[in-house]
Amino acid sequence: MSSPTANPLREGIANRLMPEPCTLVIFGATGDLTHRKLIPALYNLAAEGALPPAVTIIGFARREKTSEQFRKELEEATRKFSRTPLNEELWASFASSIHYHQSPFDDAEGYRRLAAEMEKTDLARGTGGNRLYYLAVAPDQFPVILGHLRESGLNTAPPGSWARVIVEKPFGKDLATATALNQLVNEVFPERDTYRIDHYLGKETAQNIMVMRFANSIFESIWDSGHISHVQITAVEPLGVEGRAGYYDTSGAMRDMIQNHLLQLLTLTAMEPPTSLSADAIRDEKVKVLRSLRPLRGEDVFTHVVRAQYKAGLINGQPVPGYRDADGVPKDSATETYVALQVNIDNWRWAGVPFFIRTAKRMPKGGTEIAITFKGVPRVLFNQGGDVLDENVLVIRIQPDEGVSLRMSAKMPGSSLRIEPVKMDFHYGTSFGKATPEAYERLLLDAMSGDATLFARRDEVEEAWAFVDGIEEAWKTRRDDLALYEAGSWGPAEAAELAARHGVTWRRM
Amino acid sequence: MSFDPGIPVPIGGIERELGNLWEESGDGKTRASLINLAIYNEKPGSLETNTGIIREIAGEHAMRAILVEADPQAGGSSAEAWISMHCYLRGAKGGSVCSEQISFRLAGEAARSLQSVVFSHLDSDLPLALWWQADFHPPIQGKLWRWVDRLLFDSRHWKKPAGQFALIGQIAGLAEARTVLCDLNWARSLPVRQALAGIVETPGALPELELLRSLHLDHAPGHRTTALLLVGWLADRLGWHLTLPGHNPQFQDARGGSVSVTLGEADGASISRMRLTSEKATFELSREANSDLYVTTAGGTSLPPTSRMVRAPREETREILLMELARGGRHPLYARAVKAVEALW
Repeated sequence: MSSPTANPLREGIANRLMPEPCTLVIFGATGDLTHRKLIPALYNLAAEGALPPAVTIIGFARREKTSEQFRKELEEATRKFSRTPLNEELWASFASSIHYHQSPFDDAEGYRRLAAEMEKTDLARGTGGNRLYYLAVAPDQFPVILGHLRESGLNTAPPGSWARVIVEKPFGKDLATATALNQLVNEVFPERDTYRIDHYLGKETAQNIMVMRFANSIFESIWDSGHISHVQITAVEPLGVEGRAGYYDTSGAMRDMIQNHLLQLLTLTAMEPPTSLSADAIRDEKVKVLRSLRPLRGEDVFTHVVRAQYKAGLINGQPVPGYRDADGVPKDSATETYVALQVNIDNWRWAGVPFFIRTAKRMPKGGTEIAITFKGVPRVLFNQGGDVLDENVLVIRIQPDEGVSLRMSAKMPGSSLRIEPVKMDFHYGTSFGKATPEAYERLLLDAMSGDATLFARRDEVEEAWAFVDGIEEAWKTRRDDLALYEAGSWGPAEAAELAARHGVTWRRM
Repeated sequence: MSFDPGIPVPIGGIERELGNLWEESGDGKTRASLINLAIYNEKPGSLETNTGIIREIAGEHAMRAILVEADPQAGGSSAEAWISMHCYLRGAKGGSVCSEQISFRLAGEAARSLQSVVFSHLDSDLPLALWWQADFHPPIQGKLWRWVDRLLFDSRHWKKPAGQFALIGQIAGLAEARTVLCDLNWARSLPVRQALAGIVETPGALPELELLRSLHLDHAPGHRTTALLLVGWLADRLGWHLTLPGHNPQFQDARGGSVSVTLGEADGASISRMRLTSEKATFELSREANSDLYVTTAGGTSLPPTSRMVRAPREETREILLMELARGGRHPLYARAVKAVEALW
């Protein structure tokens, strides 16, 4: 992989594109994301020497404070949230590159001052005119920020430099708003400079899906409808809305999880081999999967999708209130906290293979996994009579306890022929004791390097919304399909029936 | 307390005894292995030292460890073996993850037929890393090396580096060998190379690399080869050719300019200071004694002054070995760095 910096000393040191010096402007710098994720990630990158020394961070926010106060707050946050202990000297060295820029988002003067500050930074620190804007704010702030970036000319870079924008989810709340948002962003930044973060894609195990599929001949040769009976993709958690009721009640599980994270995992699982490892080659294949999803509309939605909401129950033996009793949730809310759906991918490889996707809050335990169930062996030899053998199941665990396991059949020791399922298990944490980097470290580095592979492209986002919109539209026509499930249970009976229609049972996590 | 190498076992029954050991250890223990790491040493007492190293690294890099303390000069033939496990608590559930260790003390003929003893006890299908903690002796024979995926050694300890590098070159050139050469001295220099690569990544700095006129390095006593590997790396990367060998050699750059190199000794880190200067710029890297930070600076008439600190890993064997095992891959620049300064060993 060649280095865009053409630094001869980098060759052989790291097998990745190298980040370039830049000024990183974080809009919403006083918010949670900046404190919990972004600054700890940048600190760890800087401490390991992975950031060019000239990288400069400007926090842009409305509240009055000095750079010194800002750094102090960030130091405390980093001490709390960094995956490595905070070293005072390293922090001091890193913090000298952090500055606070106080301005309302809608004040043109604030952007003029920002432009002047960045020009000074270019001269003083050698950031070379490269700009990376991180919109760590609610989407309703995007128009005003993007508009001012354009008006002040900050969205363009001098020749040989670049200006990029990182956008946090949610990328809209339906296809129309997503298209409008994308249109808005792309009027200011071209698509090649737009980086939409889905932090699931920065997780090691998500990145490992492609490695497992395309670096191992045994899997890819049986990765099709001829060998696979069905696929289950699950992301569940024991938590409730936990203070996010305002957002969650307007979003629901479909928009919060399925439209982005789970459809991303689906595309990685089902995509064809890309022609190269370039960002667009990979994303081309992912978007083809989304385009091949059989649309769910009208009555089909009620036969293929189950939505439900949790009521009071027990989690770990402790009583928890129902969703409608959570602070900030309307008493008559019809927002789904559980979604199970069965989808079909209408292409050559996957014809006839049902994909089951499930996400939920207030489950007995949490976890994210992809389970590939293979077809059973012919009903001769060991698989006849009353003893039906368990199918082989390959499970890719995304979190927690990242790893891969394969269930297969084995003869029990003894003089009789008794066959039982056994599991081969690979745990990342068992074999690799080393802590893996946070997803945001990888993603920030990629954005500075111009590598968009792990970011969602506009057409991916819009295709995902087009699929989800059909379901949301049908849901608007009825309300009586909203099932209820007890907190601490594995979901409503309707979901079990959905799977049972295909001869499938949901996996126990 | 005297060193306990583990449970003594007959060499022909090692696998069976390992199986028994697992059965006796009870539930809650998981065997893990990413590689076979064999360590060969000819010094008495090395089993104890190397067991200590394995104990420190197996928690981060699961393995089957095969330790050999050999005395090939002894008469006759004797072989003793022990087995043991290194277990580490993992996760909230309280389970343990364990790596196996097989230790051999070989003398005479048994020590001279290393491959028949060691290679019959590998965890099959996992790569073999052989850490050779002794001098290499001619003649180099393919029958040993063709089994080795990664050959680890530390050129820092070589008394006569020129001869040893030549033998290493022969191993790399063996037609049947696919061995990756992993000099721990090269791994030791990696953080310095990383830090230096970072400091020149400011606009305006890269052109100055082609105009360097001098390089000064301070290395710890006994680390001259570490320093020379760094010189070789820079020479290869920047297109320098050695024109005047000696303690303070001279190079010529691609434009015909002269580059003088001076090496000094200073207590502290293996490389405690490195300064590169052109007419208009200076790049400097330093590490104070007992510090776990590198301070790098760049400045001059053509550059805005830049300074930063980055983590400098500890230089214990454990850290260097883990760094090497974690990186994997081939080291194409190593052979070129060695060649660039071969007249200086």
